[in-house]
This record gives sequence, C-alpha cells and structure tokens, in this order.
Amino acid sequence: MTGDERLERYAELAVRVGANVQPGQQVFVHPMVEHAELGRALVRQAYRAGAEYVHVSYRDDHVRHAMIGLGPDSALTYSPDWAKDLMLAEAGNASIGTTGRPEPELLADLDGERVGRAIQLELAEIAQQQHRDNSVNWCGVGAPNEGWATQVFGEPDVERLWEKVAFCMRLDEPDPVEAWREHMARLDARAEALTTLGPDALHYRGPGTDLTVGLLPTARWGSARFRTSGGIDYVANMPTEEIFTTPDSRRADGTIRSSLPLVLNGQIIRGLEFTFEDGRIVGVEAETGADLVRSQLGTIENADRLGELALVTNESRVGQSETLFFDTLFDENATCHIAYGMGLPYAFDGEPDGGSNVCKIHIDFMVGGPELEVDAVLADGSEIPLIRNETWQLAA
Amino acid sequence: MDERLEGYAELVVRVGANVQPGQEVFLFAAVEHHDLARAIARQAYRAGASYVNIVYRDGHVRKAMIELGPDEALTYAPEWQKVLARSSEGNALIATTGDPEPELLADLDGERVGRAVAQELVQIQMQLMGENAVNWVGVGAPSEGWATQVFGEPDVEKLWEKVAFCMRLDEPDPVAAWEEHLARLAERTTRLNELDADALRYRGPGTDLVVGLHPNVRWASGAGDTASGIRYVANMPTEEVFTSPDARRAEGTIRATQPFPLFGQIVRGLELTFEQGRAVRVEAETGGELVRSHFATIENADRLGEVALVTGESRVGQTGLLFYDVLFDENSTCHIAYGTALPFLLEGEPDDGFNIANMHVDFMVGGPELEVDAVLADGTEVPLIRNEEWQLA
Repeated sequence: MTGDERLERYAELAVRVGANVQPGQQVFVHPMVEHAELGRALVRQAYRAGAEYVHVSYRDDHVRHAMIGLGPDSALTYSPDWAKDLMLAEAGNASIGTTGRPEPELLADLDGERVGRAIQLELAEIAQQQHRDNSVNWCGVGAPNEGWATQVFGEPDVERLWEKVAFCMRLDEPDPVEAWREHMARLDARAEALTTLGPDALHYRGPGTDLTVGLLPTARWGSARFRTSGGIDYVANMPTEEIFTTPDSRRADGTIRSSLPLVLNGQIIRGLEFTFEDGRIVGVEAETGADLVRSQLGTIENADRLGELALVTNESRVGQSETLFFDTLFDENATCHIAYGMGLPYAFDGEPDGGSNVCKIHIDFMVGGPELEVDAVLADGSEIPLIRNETWQLAA
Repeated sequence: MDERLEGYAELVVRVGANVQPGQEVFLFAAVEHHDLARAIARQAYRAGASYVNIVYRDGHVRKAMIELGPDEALTYAPEWQKVLARSSEGNALIATTGDPEPELLADLDGERVGRAVAQELVQIQMQLMGENAVNWVGVGAPSEGWATQVFGEPDVEKLWEKVAFCMRLDEPDPVAAWEEHLARLAERTTRLNELDADALRYRGPGTDLVVGLHPNVRWASGAGDTASGIRYVANMPTEEVFTSPDARRAEGTIRATQPFPLFGQIVRGLELTFEQGRAVRVEAETGGELVRSHFATIENADRLGEVALVTGESRVGQTGLLFYDVLFDENSTCHIAYGTALPFLLEGEPDDGFNIANMHVDFMVGGPELEVDAVLADGTEVPLIRNEEWQLA
C-alpha cells in the first residue's frame, strides 16, 4: 500500500465508518492548516460517498496565538456571525474534525489566564445544543504531520507516526470495516454488562488517587457508537477504545491524579491533580499549565464539575502502541480517563438527567495506569472490581 | 520572527488595507499562504483590529468539488459564506494571491471549471465594492509552488526578493516610497481625466481594437477612499491607471501577450474578437474552453469591464518575470478585463454601457509593440503609449 493509498483508505474509513456520510448530506470538515493533506482526502471521500457539498474551514493555532497574545479582551470570547451560521448549518449533516496538533505547546508563552478564558461562548452554546439534539453525525480522527511526529518521537518521523496511527485505526486488518464492526460490538457488550450491573458510584484508587464519583440511574454506559436523532449510526471517535458514562455531577469526593500529560489549548498540563468536594473541584495542582486550568474553572460556569467517566483496558490498540501521543483523541483511548465540564448527552436515552453537568467545555484527562484500581460501588455499598492492572474484571 | 515577513505584512496592513483601530479584519488566504497570513494577523492586531477573521481556501478542495461533486455544488453559495461576505462591510479585507499550483485544474473539464462560480457571493462582493464599504487589499504570498511555476525550481527566496522589489521593500522608507509612487500614478490619472477621451485604440501584432470610453466613469489608480473616508491601496503592487469602458462599444481583435492563470488552468495565446461590445470569437492555445464557458454561462462576461495602462517604469515589468499571477502580471504591462466594470469608478447611475457581470478576468495585452492612442470626440488621436513609454505630458 503506498502512502497515498493509505491516506485515501484512512479517509474513506473516517467518512464511511466514522461520520457515516449519507448521500445528499452536506459535510463539514475542520482540519488544522497543517492537516491539509488529510483534509483534502476527506473531501474526496465525502464526495465519493455522495455528499452534496463539502465545506472546509481550516483552523490555525498561530492565528489563535496572535488573537490571545495581541488582540483585545473582547476578542477572546467573540463568536463571529458567519462562524455561528457555519456551525448551525451542521445540524442534520455530517462533520469531521481532525486532531494532532503540530505544535502542542505553541501557546505556552502566553498568559494561562487568557488562554483559559479564550472560548467562543456562543459557538460553544450551539455545539452543546447539537450534542443534546444529536443532530450531527460527527467523527474526530488524527492527522499525522511533522510537528506532531516531532512531539511524539523527538524527530519529524511522519512515516512512523502514520504506522502507529494506522495500527490504532485497524488499517492493518484485511477488512478494516469488518474489524471495526467487531470491535464496536465488543465495546457495546462490555458497556451493556456495566449498565446491567447498575452501580451507584465508581471508586478510583491509585498513587495520589482516592476518588468516589456518583453515577446517575438514568445514564447508560456506552461506546462511542452513536445514532443521530435522524437514525444515522456513526462512530464519533476513531480510534475509540472506551466505554463511558455521564456521572452525577453533584457527587464527587476525594482526590485524583492525572497519569499522563495533557495537551490543552496549546499548552501542556503536567502532573494535574484535582480535589473534589460535593462534586466541585476545590483544589487544582499541576507542574505546568495550572493557570490555564484554574482560569477555565474560574471563568466557565460548571467547568469545575465532572462530565464523563471512561474505562479503557490494556486491550486498547492505542495502549498497545506504547506511545504517548500528546493528543487527547489518542491518549484518552490508551487508558482510563475522566472529563471535567459538559456531561455527555449521549449517555441518556431521553432528556439528560438534572445531575448531568451543563457546561460550555469538556476536557478529558488521563488517570489510568497499571496501579489504578476501579471499583463499581453498588447501592448496598458493596464494591465490585472493574479494573485491576489495566485488565477488565467483569464478565463480558 | 522573520523581519522581512513582518515588515511586508505591516506594509500590507498599514498602507494597503490601512486597518483602523476597532475594525474587524477579514483575511482570505490559500492554505499554502499560512506563513504570510499569520504575520498579517499579528500586524492587524498590532494595528488595533478588534478581531481577525481568517478563512483559508484550498485549490484541492475546489478540485474535488468540480471533479467529484454534483452539478448543483458548482454554483452553490453556502449561507455562512454569504454572511461572511456581508460582514466585511465597514471593515478591512486582505486577500493573498500566488497560486501554488496554477494548473491544478488543467485535467478537468473546462466547461465545468468555467461554470463553477458561486455567483451569489460575487454579487455581494460587487455590491460592497460599489458602495465602497470595505478598505481592502490584495497581496502576493510567496510559496514553493508559486516559485516553481515562475523559476522552474522551488526557490522561494528568489521569489521573495522579486516580490520585495515590486513592493518597494528595498527602499529605506517603504511607506514614503509608496507615497511618492502613488502620487506619480495620481498625476497620470489626472491627465487622463482632463483629456476626456471618447475611446482607446489598441494596435499591435494580432491586435486592432477600438474600445469606447464611458462619460460617467473616471480614470483611477493606486489609492482610493472608502465611503467613510478610509484611504487604502487595493492592490500591492499596483502600477496601473485604469477605467471601465463603455461595454457597448468594442470593435476589433485583441491578442493577449502573456499566458495567465485562470481558475486553476492556464490560458495561453488568447485572442478575442469583439463586435458591438460583445466577444464573438474566442481563440486560445490552451484554456479556450474555460473562457468560452464563462461567456456562455455568466451573463455579460462577454463584454469588457476594464482597460488599464501600465508603462515600462513598472517595477513588476522591470523584473522581466512572468509571475503566473494576475496581481503581479497585470501590473507589469497594459491589460484589459472581461466581465464586470469596477463599480467605484462610476459617477451617477449605471446605464447599459456600464457592464455588470458576476466575474472580472484581467488579461495582459501590453508589450514593446503595442500602441495605445486616445481617440478624442473630434476624432483626433493622441498617443498614450509607445514602446511601453508614457506619451502624455
């Protein structure tokens, strides 16, 4: 397989299995400037899948750097009308985002308080609504590039990064589409077993970690295979290795320590540690990037409550690649993670529970590792092991 | 930070668009132009922009649309793009040129390529141009692909040197150099408006064309003012004095003297024959299908919208290069445009002689052998250009 063939097959998988673009749909592609090669392949494959029109809006972290570093305060949260219209147009259509920052620490020299505050509030609100309505068949995929490879390997070995990414994406399988079907069925079975168990809370224990998070009786466990309100099945993340739920944002007590660095808005957060009381984060520690996290928690309503719990085991292909990707889409699928901010509406069959957190951001961070123990706490107080030594403990 | 890049971007922001504190800036760049686009964003914020909207375009995305998309996609104008176009009203706009792959669409059906115009977007842009509601500028963005097209090798540094020369960045005080240059062009403009010619006559190899001039349309050059009084220079470089002709009066034949990139194809050896203002015959070695598609599918594309005079003093011309980029090549020598007239040149209400079309395509007709005369109302002819030199006092 030549590099070009791999690129097209990869894009085809993202279009057909990920977003599952339907004939006659419009498609919205959001690559970074450095992702142009994949962005273009996604466009070609979307038209081949019968897209009526493909919109491409490139993102550029350097322009964002200029905005935060040199622009006025009002620019930080501004949502231009055209950008709102662009996002509103996604309802009923397909959307594909690409990840893999070429310069994950580009914004490290900026004031973390401003970086944290820089969120396009009205756009975030539209995105929230679209998640609640489940009106978009969307997918996020990685886009290998020189900068990203340099961050991962210390040298711009894009080919090596492509090989890792292709492995995580099951492109090495003779029939990747079938491999994905089987893989998602496995994750769905695991999620169903946990939903059937119906725990009241999860208990995390590990080095620096002792946290109990309440669960919601109305929230299911699920994989990242979703169905839009219009009935289109799609896989929102590729790769995906997790089963997740939306916790009760009113019930979290204890401390949790992040086990991997986190690339967040152009800075890298290292050694993150949160302390919770009654569901709210009351303590933030970090070796780098603490100002950014504190700014988010201080300026964005309900960012200081939890929105997601996700379990990942060592069967994960991302984990098996033994690579720190410095990209949340990959790293969160290497090991267990948690998110502060917005509760995921996808965990609910109907309207989200009142305990599901309402927030304009959703930030995943990794907490898993060989020493992490995760237990399900049942209503009667008994604890059932879910994860030990990165291995799944429940049947199924 | 690259000093030349920042200096260039600053010139574009301060002299070109002349971004005012509190204005939004709309920046349109090819994805390959990101180095310059980022520098422009920085300089725009330094100049006091309230927000910089950046929209990257991508020739490969366009190619996929024309090649693989349905027919309706060709002319589709998404709502958000219309809102985006309207949002530039009262604000500053900067666009970058320099196609990294000028022949990217050469293997596609010229008829489809020519038809692929989001006409509703063009209409909005034209309306804003007519209201003179935007301080805007187009500038070149050197890239490897563009350098390869010009030099046969990806020598971006060499292209940068040529572009910097055309932009007067080699002058000790580029801003002052631009002021002097614009004043020289303005002087020429004044002389042409005073002359009040009834027509222009072009003569040269393969060329014998008379184009009527429009009594309510002035000659202009270089700097202009928005309706709200912001002075801006719409093209950098700019070496031309130009007007929009009477679209009803063009008779004869004109031969393009340079190839030019158009919609991802290159048009070579273009020759147009006009009768009563309309192009009735199109010949070309390559790209003829694309031009014919424009004339057939876009109303009034087959009439003239601009005549522009450029002399041997042009810095672009002095480089001796063919840039394969209209912003540069049209400023190296005399050119003409088919399609829409330039709305900001009109004094009074438009009549049928002022061409309205959803496109504007410049092509080069100048060279050492081209003679341009002004034809006065009494029929006398006054030489304007001989051997690429200006003839009017």
